[in-house]
Amino acid sequence: MSSLSVSTSPLPDEPFAADGVRVSRSAALQRYSLRARDPAKLAAVVGRELPGRIGGVTDGIAQLGPDEFLALLPVGTQLPSGEEEPVSVVDISSRAVGITVEGEGAAALIMSGCPLDLDRMAPGQATRTIYETVEMVLVRESETRFHIEVWRSFAPWLWQSLRLSAE
Amino acid sequence: MLLIHCPYCDEKRPEIEFAYGGEAHIARPLDPSALSDEEWETYLFIRSNARGRHHERWRHIHGCGRFFNAVRDTVTDKFETTYKAGEERR
Repeated sequence: MSSLSVSTSPLPDEPFAADGVRVSRSAALQRYSLRARDPAKLAAVVGRELPGRIGGVTDGIAQLGPDEFLALLPVGTQLPSGEEEPVSVVDISSRAVGITVEGEGAAALIMSGCPLDLDRMAPGQATRTIYETVEMVLVRESETRFHIEVWRSFAPWLWQSLRLSAE
Repeated sequence: MLLIHCPYCDEKRPEIEFAYGGEAHIARPLDPSALSDEEWETYLFIRSNARGRHHERWRHIHGCGRFFNAVRDTVTDKFETTYKAGEERR
């Protein structure tokens, strides 16, 4: 099953670059949606440390909401399903694709369609947000590098939109 | 653009990330079949439609995904406060 769970990307292979920014398709990832009312139980099931607050990222796991986490892990990583525990661990590897935006103009390019003030988003933060009308999860990996998680069917539109904004 | 304070994320976020959820603090009757038609109509449709201070639900749908309550002035469109779902009316 694991080879099927990470399928091909709907995005072009070739990155594009313009004006101090480079946009490329990210490598395939193993993605899990993790939910639990009690994060301590979830941490025990997956055997990893969880971020203590919304927006934090530790160990590839981002906290999106009070009870919601998104794990972005190397392909092939398997998390325990947590049977009989009050947690939900669901493989959603194929639901989204990743886009990497890097360069001096990365924040400005994303802010062309995203209403967040990225000057106030520190590296190592992650949040669900919106670009124009498309929902995405934005991870700031460093000052000049962002990772965007976007649903597969929205990805070509977002790619094209970023491309037009960059030009 | 309005900035709305999400009590779960504990920061001000742009309005476009949120969805409006109608008037707040309207409890669903525990036993709907015991209600008269008028009482049921009141529960379903009749709202305070306040001019001024209004309690309403919002959802941070493109963020943490949570419903919360807010007090907004319907004349000035200013948010007075927001608080988590389940907390006392303010």
